[in-house]
Amino acid sequence: MDIEIFPHRILGTDTTEKVLNDIESLDSVIRTVIQGPRLPPQDEIDRIYGDRRVIVVKGEEVELKVKTGRIFVELYDESGIEEIRAICDEHIDTGYDINTSKSQYIRKQRTVTDGLKYGENTEIPDELVGIADTRSKFKDHVAILKRDTLE
Amino acid sequence: MAQYYPGTSQVAENRRKFTNPDVELEVLREISDEDVVKLLGHRAPGEEYKSVHPPLDELDEPDDIIREIVEPIDGAKAGDRVRYIQFVDSMYFAPAQPFLRARSYVYRYRGIDTGTLSGRQIIEARERDLERISKEILENEYFDTARTGIRGSGVHGHSLRLDENGLMFDMLRRQVLNKETGNVEMVKDQIGHELDEPVVLGEPLDEETLRAKTTIYRCDGEAYKDDEDAVTVLRQIHVTRSQFGYNPEY
Repeated sequence: MDIEIFPHRILGTDTTEKVLNDIESLDSVIRTVIQGPRLPPQDEIDRIYGDRRVIVVKGEEVELKVKTGRIFVELYDESGIEEIRAICDEHIDTGYDINTSKSQYIRKQRTVTDGLKYGENTEIPDELVGIADTRSKFKDHVAILKRDTLE
Repeated sequence: MAQYYPGTSQVAENRRKFTNPDVELEVLREISDEDVVKLLGHRAPGEEYKSVHPPLDELDEPDDIIREIVEPIDGAKAGDRVRYIQFVDSMYFAPAQPFLRARSYVYRYRGIDTGTLSGRQIIEARERDLERISKEILENEYFDTARTGIRGSGVHGHSLRLDENGLMFDMLRRQVLNKETGNVEMVKDQIGHELDEPVVLGEPLDEETLRAKTTIYRCDGEAYKDDEDAVTVLRQIHVTRSQFGYNPEY
């Protein structure tokens, strides 16, 4: 089953890191997706005042690209909800809701967009379906080392 | 006696406080004249005021009783251009809100024109008067550095969730929080041109103070339906308007 954590304020990087680490350490959690508005462009203002940094979740470095507006969590069963509530109580002090009204918050089926992005015949592992950034640009997930130059 | 706003709640009391021109609003911060000019972005600090007509003293105006009765404001006397400042008030317990701004401005200031929309409120006046009024509004209770935005363009954000640090969303990132000092700084002028030096606006008010000062009814603060006096007056206005065209006999 899926749940949605809806914080009453957009979470900052520090809180996101703490919440994600604690949620990921639970045995009842299958996978987690964060969703929200994009972080502002990387410029001088962002460098001085911004909240952008690489967070470490369970020892792995993750570059945040969005502000945390919602957190979707896929669970094995309902028993995980109370544990997640305890984590949110501890870290999110500006209020939050846990929504369970929809049967699923994370997409489970492969879509046309997936086909266009990764190729129609590519096998995508089930755990990756629905967690890729649907608005990501080609250059974000392809590294071009050297362009051919036409002389 | 003037009746400014009905209601027995704190929100109603605050609304009366803003609308009553005899009440002096609390000054919460200090912003220099030069900084106000910078964040308005209409002229460079120290630059002469541009004019659209010669000073009134030099104009040969036709005789008119109204011209004798009404004393022109300073900017009109000098022939200044009409300029503007526009504010955006967050729905999350901002001290002021657009309709209250409009009502209270016309009680408090002469020679202005205000325009009200759901999320933003513009005030237009002759340039030197606008600077005086802007300084007053920015320094007193009308303004909170986090929940009120000074936005000439790119105004979106009044109804969005706040950031964790309490700042309202601003797509142009004009007002930003300096994490080291805890002050909100304005790094761009109201239409988004970068400033050479940031203008320090000061610390945001804390949540409790904002809830005490707000003029917004909210179900998670003071709900409008709980303020029986205000609801009764509103209903009375609605009924007399709908059924009797404001006929005072009903």
